[in-house]
Amino acid sequence: MDKDKTPQLPVRMTRSSASSSNHIATAEVNSLEPLTINDLLVGGDPISLDDIISSFPGRSSQIREVVRLLGPLNSPMLPLFVYGGPSTGKTSIILQLFRHLNRPLVYSSCRTCHNQGILFESILNQLRLHRKNAANGYSTAKRCERPSDFVNFLREALTNVVNNLKKSENSISNKMTNGKIGNMIYLVFDNFQLVREWEKSSTILPLLFNLHDLLKMPEVGVIFISNTSPDTFYTNMGYVEPVPILFPEYTEGDIRQILLRNQLNQKLYSSFLDLVLHSFYRITNQVSQLSATLKPLYEKYCEPLNDKGKGVAHNSEMNLRLSTHIKPHISSALNEIFKISYISSTEVETQKEEKWKGKSSRSEQSKELGSLDFHMSTSAKYLLISAFLASRNPATLDASLFDSKGGFDNRKRKRKPSEKALERKETLEEEMLMKGPGTFPLERLLAIFQCLVSVAEDPSDNEEQNNNASGVQSGSGDLMSDILLQLSSLCNANFIFKGRSCPIEGSTRYRSTISEDLALKVARSLKFPLSKYLYRS
Amino acid sequence: MEGENHAVKAVNVLRSRICDPKFIFFDDSPDSNYSKLKFMISSSVTEACNNSILLLGPRGSGKSAVLELVIQYLMQEYPDSISVIRLNGLLHSDDISAFKEIARQLCMEHQLVFSKAASFDDNSQFMMAMLKECGLAHKTVIFVLDEFDLFAQGKQRLLYSLLDAMQSITSQAVVVGISCRLDADQLLEKRVRSRFSHRKLLFLPPSMEDSQRLLMHMLTLPIDSSFPHDYAVEFNKKVQNIIEDRRFKETLNKFLNIDSAVKDLLRFLFCAVSHMDLQTGFLSRENFEIAFFSIQRHPKLEFLRNCTELELYMLVCMKSLEVKEQSLCNFNSVMKGNICCYNRGQSFSSNHYYINVYWLGFRHLIDLEEISFLNFHCLNISPRKMQVLIDYYPICEELLSFRILPNLLRLKQF
Repeated sequence: MDKDKTPQLPVRMTRSSASSSNHIATAEVNSLEPLTINDLLVGGDPISLDDIISSFPGRSSQIREVVRLLGPLNSPMLPLFVYGGPSTGKTSIILQLFRHLNRPLVYSSCRTCHNQGILFESILNQLRLHRKNAANGYSTAKRCERPSDFVNFLREALTNVVNNLKKSENSISNKMTNGKIGNMIYLVFDNFQLVREWEKSSTILPLLFNLHDLLKMPEVGVIFISNTSPDTFYTNMGYVEPVPILFPEYTEGDIRQILLRNQLNQKLYSSFLDLVLHSFYRITNQVSQLSATLKPLYEKYCEPLNDKGKGVAHNSEMNLRLSTHIKPHISSALNEIFKISYISSTEVETQKEEKWKGKSSRSEQSKELGSLDFHMSTSAKYLLISAFLASRNPATLDASLFDSKGGFDNRKRKRKPSEKALERKETLEEEMLMKGPGTFPLERLLAIFQCLVSVAEDPSDNEEQNNNASGVQSGSGDLMSDILLQLSSLCNANFIFKGRSCPIEGSTRYRSTISEDLALKVARSLKFPLSKYLYRS
Repeated sequence: MEGENHAVKAVNVLRSRICDPKFIFFDDSPDSNYSKLKFMISSSVTEACNNSILLLGPRGSGKSAVLELVIQYLMQEYPDSISVIRLNGLLHSDDISAFKEIARQLCMEHQLVFSKAASFDDNSQFMMAMLKECGLAHKTVIFVLDEFDLFAQGKQRLLYSLLDAMQSITSQAVVVGISCRLDADQLLEKRVRSRFSHRKLLFLPPSMEDSQRLLMHMLTLPIDSSFPHDYAVEFNKKVQNIIEDRRFKETLNKFLNIDSAVKDLLRFLFCAVSHMDLQTGFLSRENFEIAFFSIQRHPKLEFLRNCTELELYMLVCMKSLEVKEQSLCNFNSVMKGNICCYNRGQSFSSNHYYINVYWLGFRHLIDLEEISFLNFHCLNISPRKMQVLIDYYPICEELLSFRILPNLLRLKQF
């Protein structure tokens, strides 16, 4: 946090840092004292509305609207639903506004509280001013799993807090001090879209949407923050819709302003943005992705300047030189940098970033070497490969690929005579690639598996002439044993998808779900020539 | 400064009215639902008989608010002979927690010690015993079952035991079900339905005149000592003018055509009041218009406006594949189409992007839930079939009206 360097906020704060930094700071200061009602405030220095607006370019209408809907001190509120794409400033604006208004809020993110029990406990812990520590064995204030208990406890805790607020307000107004916090308390649910994927989402969603009506407390405001619009929350119950507030994606001009902030050499950076921003903006309009992508490109842009562009006089000649220097890099950057998943926080120091990148590239290298990063038995590997082949290759080609001996020498002979048929098959095969893996019955899988195992053991047979025939026999028998068990465990591990039984044929059909890369890796670990069996042009 | 103070105070008053259902739904006229319900329940309290009523109506039409008003009235009228048990289908739809909650509330009411460890059987026997006791003491127990339809799932043991207990002469109870499903009584099992009295009260959305009266009722400031007399009078006059304005009536009509329940009207009012200018301190017609536009959402259009060019291009490709080939597409087929276009020189841009750039746009579309996958569960996303959740028409509209895309793209698609 470089808050002391700049009076304004840093350009972007991640959700966690924006929400937790203040809480953690207060928690560290008075880690021994019991929490007070003031810990429900966002904390930090008071900030004026104009500061907030200027620190979030392009968001002034949204900020004003939220302020209007939150209303003056002590005025009740209907539930709000704030939504917009990722990194459009929803959470940080809400939190900064509460810092400005100096009102208590209970913030819970549905990403960290990943099921209803944890969500309930987190809300209750905050409301009951409970802190997990060694003294209470890191236990929660109230254990509650059922929604019915939760609503009872919540009502109890909220009345408590509201009464305290009212009391303290009275005493403060007697003293005529400035720090009024009012008697409203706000519940903020962040990342609300994730609730839909919870186990009991069909009951918890209507409950949370109706929470305001259930509590029947005018002192409680409810705010939902979500990535997706309200109409993606289908419930079969229906609910009275909350008041929607849309945070649209930033326009190109806004993004320019956001990226320009905290840059040392504004002029240089702006001429850099002139060159590159438009082509990047056509691809993505998310600030997090853009800033991560543009950072290395900017470093490259500054390369011709010896002192990293800190105190360089700016002129058109220099500009031209720089732009010719950067031109060839732009398109490659467009294509390549999005490969690396973007770094979520720009506040991560550059050193760390470099380390991170180094690590990722190393891991990529190791992947290319072809080692599997998980263990799997040999027969399961063969089964996986045969499932992959059964999904990829059309069933009509099985006979030509695997004959009873499992050799390939016959294959070439068979392929030659019918060039036209081959072409037709190729288009068929391409179509299959388009449509994704095909389905196959169990019998076909087992037949291919048997072929593969026999093929795989042929070379070993040749190499190790000393081994007697019976040993090889028993080896193949080993691989074939428990094959259905292996199959079911592969199904459970989601490598093979088991469909419902086909109504016409009556047998269950399977489908392999692994990608070609993974299949090739598995084959390499077995030293199995998979590519010879893949039917492709 | 003085004027602003009044304005803040006025906003506070209006907002607390909007959030207070008791203020909204109080209607004393003899044919209102309030009077009907009051008559039904108070007669069964005074005559010491059993009763069961269903309150039906769309969500947000004030069913539970009216019931709360009635209960409040009864509490004042007969303070000693009433106890209220409130259950909610969202919270207590399973029998175990329902009986537990009933026992808890009965214990609270009668200053008994509630045991958390009590079993289902204990709780149901306790409820029966309490009902009998209350009947002997001529005390009516009112059971309020919110989200009544959710109690009708499963074995309906709660409903059965409640209604069965009411068949005996000794007990004295009223069961009030609240539901937004109009067929709620049809969900009941035969043995439950035969014990249910088929009294129903229907809550209808207000008519245009009623809504105007409600607006007037909600928005006029009280003329007493709380506000300066001049300010309150002028405020009320302005509100009157706005409501009688023809253009305002049009806006209101448009709004009521979409959402007509009282709660939706309140949401509209809430937005309008929040937009009130604190400098002047009066409501204006513009406030209502802004509120109308901020509540009226076009989610798909909003989404399309947020798309980058790349994403729009991909959507168009998917949609045209869907239309041309009469089948659903997947990521592979979209990419194939793209490569063909590129070879013919009709691509999204002069730059040839690699697959991962398209992949980025594709993932973003999935995150925004504008395309969705159909069939099977798969680790590998690219061959999964998907469906575009937007119609072709708005995409074209968006392309033509909001963005200037390369001409080639336009030629290709239309």
